[in-house]
Amino acid sequence: MGAKYSTFSMRSVEARADKILNSTLVKALLVISFITLIAFGGALLFFHYSIGWMVIGFAAIPFEFLIWAKYELKEIPIGRNNTINDLLSNECLARLGSHPTPQSIVTWFYKTRSGNFLAIRYSITPRMLEAITKDMPEDITPIFEKAIEIREKTESEVVSGGVLAVAIIECRPDCEQILKSMKLELSDLYDGLLWFNYLSGLVKGMRKRRHTGGFARDLMFGYTPLLQNYTVNISRQHETTRGGNVSISLHREQIQQMIDIFSKGGRQNVALIGPDGCGRSTIVNEFASEILNADNKISSQIKYRQIFKLDAAALISSASERGEMETLMNRILNEAYYAKNVILWLENAELFFEEGTGSIDISNVLLPILENGAVRVILTMDQQKFLEISSRKAALANALNKIMIEPADEEATIKVMQDRVPLLEDKFGVIYTFWSLRESYRLSERYVHDLVMPGRAISLLESAGNFPIDGYITDASVQQAIEKTVGVKMQSSTDEEDKSRLLNMEELIHKRLIGQDMAVRAVSDALRRAAAGVRNENRPIGTFLFLGPTGVGKTELAKAISEVYFGGEGTIIRIDLNEYVSADDVQRLIADGATDELSLTAQVMKHPFSVVLLDEIEKAHPLVLTTLLQLLDEGILRDVKNREVSFRDTIVVATSNAGANSIRDYIDQGLDTSKIKEQLTNDLISSGEFKPEFLNRFDEICIFQPLSKEALLSIVDLIIASTNKTLEPRKITVSLEPEAKTLLVEHGYDPKLGARPMRRIVSKTVENIVARAVLSGEADSGASITITPDMIQAALD
Amino acid sequence: MLAVSFLQWWYSRGWGIYFRGFRERLSNIADFFSIGLLVKTLFQPFKQVSADETGERGGLQGSLVAFFDRLLSRIIGFIVRTGLIIFGIISMIITFVMGLALAIVWPCIPILPVAGIIISVTGLSF
Repeated sequence: MGAKYSTFSMRSVEARADKILNSTLVKALLVISFITLIAFGGALLFFHYSIGWMVIGFAAIPFEFLIWAKYELKEIPIGRNNTINDLLSNECLARLGSHPTPQSIVTWFYKTRSGNFLAIRYSITPRMLEAITKDMPEDITPIFEKAIEIREKTESEVVSGGVLAVAIIECRPDCEQILKSMKLELSDLYDGLLWFNYLSGLVKGMRKRRHTGGFARDLMFGYTPLLQNYTVNISRQHETTRGGNVSISLHREQIQQMIDIFSKGGRQNVALIGPDGCGRSTIVNEFASEILNADNKISSQIKYRQIFKLDAAALISSASERGEMETLMNRILNEAYYAKNVILWLENAELFFEEGTGSIDISNVLLPILENGAVRVILTMDQQKFLEISSRKAALANALNKIMIEPADEEATIKVMQDRVPLLEDKFGVIYTFWSLRESYRLSERYVHDLVMPGRAISLLESAGNFPIDGYITDASVQQAIEKTVGVKMQSSTDEEDKSRLLNMEELIHKRLIGQDMAVRAVSDALRRAAAGVRNENRPIGTFLFLGPTGVGKTELAKAISEVYFGGEGTIIRIDLNEYVSADDVQRLIADGATDELSLTAQVMKHPFSVVLLDEIEKAHPLVLTTLLQLLDEGILRDVKNREVSFRDTIVVATSNAGANSIRDYIDQGLDTSKIKEQLTNDLISSGEFKPEFLNRFDEICIFQPLSKEALLSIVDLIIASTNKTLEPRKITVSLEPEAKTLLVEHGYDPKLGARPMRRIVSKTVENIVARAVLSGEADSGASITITPDMIQAALD
Repeated sequence: MLAVSFLQWWYSRGWGIYFRGFRERLSNIADFFSIGLLVKTLFQPFKQVSADETGERGGLQGSLVAFFDRLLSRIIGFIVRTGLIIFGIISMIITFVMGLALAIVWPCIPILPVAGIIISVTGLSF
């Protein structure tokens, strides 16, 4: 019964009246008639016509309409009963008509504020809804019932256009499927309604005048001429606006802690410590706003205090010498003390405690102040820097009231981003879609390394503002932002290209690698599984251990994977682990990019879509292998700065010659590849070369067999093709007679060195023959050189 | 039906909304002049001037100078604050009286057309 709609309910009638009375034209007419009636009535009375009273009396009618329309009809309060008539918003009631159907709602829902919000941010468009609705009046009751339910779940004030749109979708039996095709879930739409409600609440709050203490506040406190020069008063920004405007619910606890510390006796300082991006500055801004609000019930000890942010650059430029700096700081602290209302904020406080040339250290001046609490001080600093300062200046660290700030989780980060979106939209003149927020979180988590959440997601979201697509910031805008600002190259191939490449992987790899069919198949299968979405997103795309003697194509396969999967050899990051033989080398492996751009972490930071080739892994120090465990398991490696570097878009290939002799023996014994793999793995574990937990981390262990003479014949073809490619500009082609090839293989075959000597032999013979022919003028442009066994033999002699 | 709803609103919620607005206006003026805070700090030095002179010269003379500086500052502060308190109280009284007058007039507004007709019929004019 609650979902039975009536077009004659009082709220419906009033909503229709609102639509008329609150239209600009009618409002203007009402104002004009009010003024005209007053003026005309007054004029009549002036000329002694008593009818003027009647005219003035009638002026009350437009006046009453204006008041009624403004204070009642604009937002008709919800009814007392939980019926759809009592809960529908004005905008809906005025448009529903006498016999609403789902399809009739579709024609206007996007004209309501919440409907429009969902349409532009979640692509819940009229066209999309039209395709899933019918023009059946009997379908409307379940939609209304669902809408009442959604309103309760999302704590919406009314059943709005947006709520109705979500109800229409949720009433469909194939709702999940519909949303999946749009990369959405029902919870995302509920979240969208919550987002809309939150923003509406903010707008309403902003309409109210803030009480900030009036005349008396500033009369209570002293002049601060010196502080004006060396600080920025951030409290001033919060007098008229809400300033930073970030949802303080995220930092409620820390702000309350700050209020408590400053309200009571004891050390009047707070040190907000957390990694960059966790929201330290936001907390200080919110704190400034909180203590400025006269309506807040907080101690008078702290109420109306103003926060002055100390400008390190201005200080250094005015007082470069240590003595001068200390004098200046003393004067500033004195002024802050006598002004009575100042809280000094040292942003990036570590800058004020640095030793050495060109830096400032005010710890001697500040320490007594921090200990006796004469001046209130807020310090914000990075966690790591705080630890460094603590080790150097224990007394300073002990004098601080520390509040640790943790990075935000996904839910909180999305909320902070939702909160920031109106400011960014205003700044860039664009509209952010829901997907842009989600993509910002996802991509920033992987590719933005210098900040933590929510700062890293917000920084990416802000960068994306420069890449609108038809005025909208979508997930593609965020990807573009990552490419352009962070320098990370995102994959750009089409789905069709990807599919064809993956399906023909073996063929493509064999264009540059001869033999090793089993290994190529194992790798291709693993990569296809990963691409089909079967893989764990929280690991690298693939992790492979290539075992086999030298010169059999292990490195070549890694290069081939790089070319086929990522489209170029440039995307291979090669680390020779024979250079990492001591425990200290771990530091080099995970060094900061600023000091060592060739460290593994630095290279992957720059090129996350790469094949990571860990060559000769058996030679690495056990500690290096332990460090790599997390990489193989979770796709994450922390660098020296404790930043998470994602390897989740890499293919990790480790190569090793360990057990090469055993492979030959097992092949000679006639064991098949799977048996060899099992046997070899056991050998490597029992000999202590690799630990079982290390070998278990790989998706595939591929055994590379020694090359046969037949395979080497094909390799000769590949080398000759490569030589022809080099000679292409001279338009000279080289070909070998079959006997010449066999002769080359006979001389180039070495079971211990694999195909490696082959290239040397070809260089010594074929390339020398061609060089002589070119220099002697025998081979000119367009010539074709056929090499015979005699020519090879002569070159070898 | 709409007319009944309008009249019902005018004499119930509408009047309530008016009073809320009236209260908010008063509260805004109170915050602007912050009379409570002015009274609490009536004898505090004006903008803390003189406070930072204390002890600079040292000795009895310094203390005396500081005391008289502070006293002068307190007198200036007292005068400024008293002026503001008086000005604020006057503003609040004016707002209150006007608001109250309008609150009394409020229930009469819907009957103004009828009243106008009656007055016109009686022939009252300037």
